[in-house]
Amino acid sequence: MLRQAWIFYVLFIPVLAIFGCSDKAEIEQFKTTPYLIDIPFPFPTALNIPADNPMTVEGVKLGRYLFYDGRLSGRTHPDSLMSCGTCHIQANSFEAGINHPVFSGGFVHGINGDRTSHVMLPLINLVWNFSGYGWNGFVYPENTNNDFRNIEDIVRVAVLAENELMGDTNHVKPLFQNIEGYPELFQKAFGSQVITFDHIEKAIAQFVRTFVSTNARFDKYIRGELQLTQSELNGYVLFTTEDGADCFHCHGGSANPMFTTHLFYNNGKDLSPDDPFDRYSITGNVNDIGKYKVPTLRNVALTAPYMHDGRYKTLDEVIEFYSSGVQLTPLIDPLMHHAVRGGVQLTTQEKADLMAFILSLQDDSFLTNPDFSAPVKFPDEN
Amino acid sequence: MKASKLLLIFVLILSSCSKESGNEAVKTGPVLLKLTHTIEGKAFSRDSLIYLNTAGNQYLVSNIQWFISEIEFIKSDGTILKPVMDDGIFYVDTDLPQTCSIHLDEIPSGNYSAIKYTFGLDEASNSSYRFVNPPESFMFWPEYLGGGYHYMKLNGKWINKDGLIAPFNFHLGIGQINNEKESGLNINYQFGYKSMYDHCEGFNPPFLLPEVSSFVQNYFEVSQDLDFIVDNETESFIKIEMQIDKWFDGSHVYNHDDWGGSIMQQQNAQEIARENGLNVFRLSIDNN
Repeated sequence: MLRQAWIFYVLFIPVLAIFGCSDKAEIEQFKTTPYLIDIPFPFPTALNIPADNPMTVEGVKLGRYLFYDGRLSGRTHPDSLMSCGTCHIQANSFEAGINHPVFSGGFVHGINGDRTSHVMLPLINLVWNFSGYGWNGFVYPENTNNDFRNIEDIVRVAVLAENELMGDTNHVKPLFQNIEGYPELFQKAFGSQVITFDHIEKAIAQFVRTFVSTNARFDKYIRGELQLTQSELNGYVLFTTEDGADCFHCHGGSANPMFTTHLFYNNGKDLSPDDPFDRYSITGNVNDIGKYKVPTLRNVALTAPYMHDGRYKTLDEVIEFYSSGVQLTPLIDPLMHHAVRGGVQLTTQEKADLMAFILSLQDDSFLTNPDFSAPVKFPDEN
Repeated sequence: MKASKLLLIFVLILSSCSKESGNEAVKTGPVLLKLTHTIEGKAFSRDSLIYLNTAGNQYLVSNIQWFISEIEFIKSDGTILKPVMDDGIFYVDTDLPQTCSIHLDEIPSGNYSAIKYTFGLDEASNSSYRFVNPPESFMFWPEYLGGGYHYMKLNGKWINKDGLIAPFNFHLGIGQINNEKESGLNINYQFGYKSMYDHCEGFNPPFLLPEVSSFVQNYFEVSQDLDFIVDNETESFIKIEMQIDKWFDGSHVYNHDDWGGSIMQQQNAQEIARENGLNVFRLSIDNN
């Protein structure tokens, strides 16, 4: 009996003490700091942040590393690395851009050369998007399929898709588990050093939700911080009048500063739409044939090529389409009422003014914000 | 000790009695306003090119978004009750079923004989930037055209005089009176945080667009008799029916061929819509 007691005191109590210390340390380490998004008036106050993935400073920090770490593909060979940042270039509003060194013309593809179904959409102000992600909105909050509801799910889709990262979550998890520095970052962000893909998705989604643009020239004009040029102002009037260029119903204005409604419209590009991945492919409603999400016009000069299929290389071509190239298709959206005369019929001067206004929506501080940029070093390089 | 206990019980009884009598004084009940949208008395069939107006336009309706505000219940004795609501403005959208029901709680019990409300937003309420969140913010009415918000977007198509299925935007809001240019600008409206003309020296609207000299408030009040009872036991269901066809067939015959696909900048069309609008809405008790 005495011997047993001795064994208990000598062996068991120190073990308990060690576990006790470790538990306490873990609890102490897992204190997150809320990440607050600065929302200037009149931007929306309603944010699309899932209840199970609140924004934290620690989560955003981890997400930034993961967003840019090519090992997210599950591969380590330098020639095969791919991350979100491979295609989503900050200088191009987190789109590939027509000047991308790898993806010619801005048409992205996976490591096997397979192109994505549609061209990219920029990652900008997505924290204000409640109407689905992707040109056809295949990921949306009310989806009965839990796996396709929010940005977290898009991370998984992108990692797995053959025409994107072509990765394997079963490779990614152990790979990052063994990269020095990452388990500690996961511990700080999610309270566990055991890396799960759920936490990878959440961290990247948190980082992407920080991509907020509120400082374009036009924003500053609305806040009374600068004066727009006469051409820009004329363009704004054209932008927001039905008898002008009539852009505002879909693309917003000062009181909808997202410059999109995030909704889906058929804008009369094709008499017989035949894309198998349009909005109809998601809803099954025949009235949704040929419909696509309206992209934001913020930084739009940097996000060529345009339309879901990248058919236009320049903004001039896009303006010309809305001026004279709209087709009165049976399923065209009623908001495209100018279609009966082929478009809004702008003069050369009006096109120039409209362009000047659209360029005032470029937010250079967003494009160069160091908080959004690639980290100088990854955790194992510190 | 015993005496203090008795005193406490006595006080409790007294206070509970007074509370009860207070409740009796403010008996309330719930009211549900159902907002429906019909053509020829039936729920409209979306995107169906099956309707014909008096002008002979064959047309369809895709969707409607609009604001109802300043709802008032009028009691048989003439007392006016303004139901307690956040800001008293409700957004209604045929694409969002949840916006087509307005639940009003704690309406004082009693017999009511009429309901009054505003179609759109009145001048005091209709200020730019009052809504920063969608979908209400998507209803903004551009500053150049008067600012504030659309009262209504009614979107559809009709077979025009050329036989084409043409889109129309029957959008109602603040109208404009255009300047004949020679008298110069005489505008006093807000653009951003400042007056547009304090803010934009040298501003010169594009030549195709008329200069605006003043604005017209096109919202209107609807007051209709309806006998209904509010009590604290059952919910009262009241239907506010927008008879869509009446926008086009009222005191004026509205012909889409005359007005074309857009009317935000056509005050004459806005005026017709406003006058027809007075007979667009129908109230009824709805227990279905």
